[in-house]
Amino acid sequence: MSNYQILSKEAHKDLRVSTMRSAEYGDNIMYTMTFPMEFRDIQSCYPIFFCKDPESGQLYPAALMGFEQEQNLFLSDSGWDASYIPMMVRRHPFLIGFQADPDGPEGATKPVVSIDSDSPRLIDSAGQGTDEGEALFNQDGSPSDFLQTSIGALESIHRGLEHNKGFIAALLEHELLESFTLKITLNDGSNNELMGFYTIAEQKLQALDGDTLAKFNAQGYLQSIYMAIASFARLRPMIDKKNAQLG
Amino acid sequence: MSDHINRVVIVGGGTAGWLSAGIIAAEHCIGSDNSSSGNRFQLTLVESPDIATIGVGEGTWPSMRSTLQKMGISETDFFRECSASFKQGTLFNGWRTGADDIYTHPFTAPQSYTEVNLAPHWQTAREQINFAQAVSPQSALFAGKLAPKQISTPEYAFNVNYGYHLDAAKFAEFLRKHCVDKLGVTHIKANVTAINSAENGDIASIATDSQGNIEGDLFIDCSGSRALLLGDHFGIPVSSKSDVLFNNTALAAQIPYSDENDPIESCTLSTAQSAGWIWEIGLPTRRGIGHVYSSDHNTEERASEELLSYIASTVSQQAAAAATLRKVQFSPGHRAKFWHKNCVAIGMSAGFIEPLEASALVLVELSAAMIAEQLPANREVMDLVAKRFNDKFLYRWDRIIEFLKLHYVLSQRRDTEYWRDNCEASSIPEPLQDLLKLWRHQSPWHRDTNNADEMFPSASFQYVLYGMDFETLTSQTQRRSEQAERLRAGSLFQENAQRTRQLQSSLPTNRDLINKIHTFGFQKI
Repeated sequence: MSNYQILSKEAHKDLRVSTMRSAEYGDNIMYTMTFPMEFRDIQSCYPIFFCKDPESGQLYPAALMGFEQEQNLFLSDSGWDASYIPMMVRRHPFLIGFQADPDGPEGATKPVVSIDSDSPRLIDSAGQGTDEGEALFNQDGSPSDFLQTSIGALESIHRGLEHNKGFIAALLEHELLESFTLKITLNDGSNNELMGFYTIAEQKLQALDGDTLAKFNAQGYLQSIYMAIASFARLRPMIDKKNAQLG
Repeated sequence: MSDHINRVVIVGGGTAGWLSAGIIAAEHCIGSDNSSSGNRFQLTLVESPDIATIGVGEGTWPSMRSTLQKMGISETDFFRECSASFKQGTLFNGWRTGADDIYTHPFTAPQSYTEVNLAPHWQTAREQINFAQAVSPQSALFAGKLAPKQISTPEYAFNVNYGYHLDAAKFAEFLRKHCVDKLGVTHIKANVTAINSAENGDIASIATDSQGNIEGDLFIDCSGSRALLLGDHFGIPVSSKSDVLFNNTALAAQIPYSDENDPIESCTLSTAQSAGWIWEIGLPTRRGIGHVYSSDHNTEERASEELLSYIASTVSQQAAAAATLRKVQFSPGHRAKFWHKNCVAIGMSAGFIEPLEASALVLVELSAAMIAEQLPANREVMDLVAKRFNDKFLYRWDRIIEFLKLHYVLSQRRDTEYWRDNCEASSIPEPLQDLLKLWRHQSPWHRDTNNADEMFPSASFQYVLYGMDFETLTSQTQRRSEQAERLRAGSLFQENAQRTRQLQSSLPTNRDLINKIHTFGFQKI
């Protein structure tokens, strides 16, 4: 369960955050949302697919880490074994919350940094002098470098969510997404079927006219589309990882 | 006048008119000025600015999904603009005995229907579980007022089959916009003042008060029960079916929800009364509740009392006190033929019967689809197409009438003259009497309907027969396949129970999903 509170140096001055990666911290996830701005890094490690938010039915790009629920093939005893960890994973235990903006027009809200006070990553260092994890605030009450980096990531996510909306709308408008089922046969003969994912419809992409391509190029979508296609190559190493686990 | 059939004129702009226009225009490209493409097809709809539409037919069959999809309509827009909600079938109350006896006719066929006929296997367990519940998950979904899909399900796709409830007036307006803006239909607002004949007796043009004469090669009469062209002009009579189906009057009301978050029914409710039945249709914005009855068996006063007491008990006393009732009279029946010379009737001009199985809109869909598909190339072949059309739709009307009658003849109610008269042999069409004899010894199944034009699948007969407690006698002889089939049936019953639980836990309520459609919309994929 999550219990988000607005971050304040008064209430949270003694909190430290563990940056370890493990299933106990909730890192055993099969996939996570990603954003075109990090596609370059994502595609070097993970396949990029598209899936739907069950609450709204809205599509979003996702980085795949496993072949079944709660399976993250990049997670081992020594942590998260990849050169890049997705922003949506790194953001924990923070989230962008929204608060009424007293300076704005009526009904206006402004984004604020929130923290999940039930997150297993939190360590209360009050009176214990532990140096495990990262401090949120310096002695003088100013935000630590770690917190500043985290806030930077939240800001990127905030922009990324907006960017995703435009990107997905453009893909849908040109019917560039299609549903697909990924069938993986492992060395032990077992079959894994991944359903409910979508991918770039390459035939439709190849049939796009010059004007649309030019527009996509100017918007940066073209690069994102091809990175998503190229990221398919990351499936093979994941299958190898899974086979290696089977022994 | 050209010999080719290029100009189609629809007279009347209600749901029937605009739905027909949409279906035909979606099939035939309408030529603009690009004569280079050689396409000269034109579709014009003439609508009186003075006559209000009746707005009947607020329930559809699942066929409406593909009808809308073919017209290129976004299901999200349709939900948002037509106050639409999901309909998964009908729940009948009080039809069997007059007490609170309930059975359902869901849109989903029994589990693995094409493979095994579960009806005989259910017979042995009929005391423990009702038929619909044993063979399909859908009636359990009715009970929970659940939706047939999730927000992540693509538009027009489903977990369980569904049609719609909709606001007919908004629907006609929505279709008009789509037809004019997207499909190239020409919309003329004028009153028809006269019909001008050609030498061969065809309609050459219709004269209007403000837009002159409108010429056409084929005229579609969607002018309502008056049937301006087929009835008034050509004098094609109505064959009355009032000797079979007695209901000829409806009192209709629109009742607001007490709270905007009140649950929305996901099926049509049909509750039997002393001389008719009351419908209840849940839209997101209101409930449509009405009483359709036989004026030969009931007075208007008594019928409205029954309706108000229904509203008082199912909604509230205040709602009943505030209700305004609108009366609609009709003579149950259909035209002796539907296509005569170069004129074909669709909608109430073709016929009308009580909305017990929501057959009005589906007949419009089927009629327009056949015209769209078999649009005669020239005047010479039109008579051949007309004959086919008439044969097909006379057959369909007969089957609909028999299927509706089936609901009455299976009743054990004898409490009023209405129910007693309904079981008089003289009021039961012969084909239906024969089927009832046959079904005593074998249950209907898809293999015994070999006609592709069948209106109701055999599964529908099963739901009504066994919902109404009809008993098919068990066979005296044993068949070789019996043992294996019984095992298969047992596991299908279990599968159905499992699927029912799974759907109950994963599907949102009708209200929730409709709210989400308004907020997020469905995806096309």
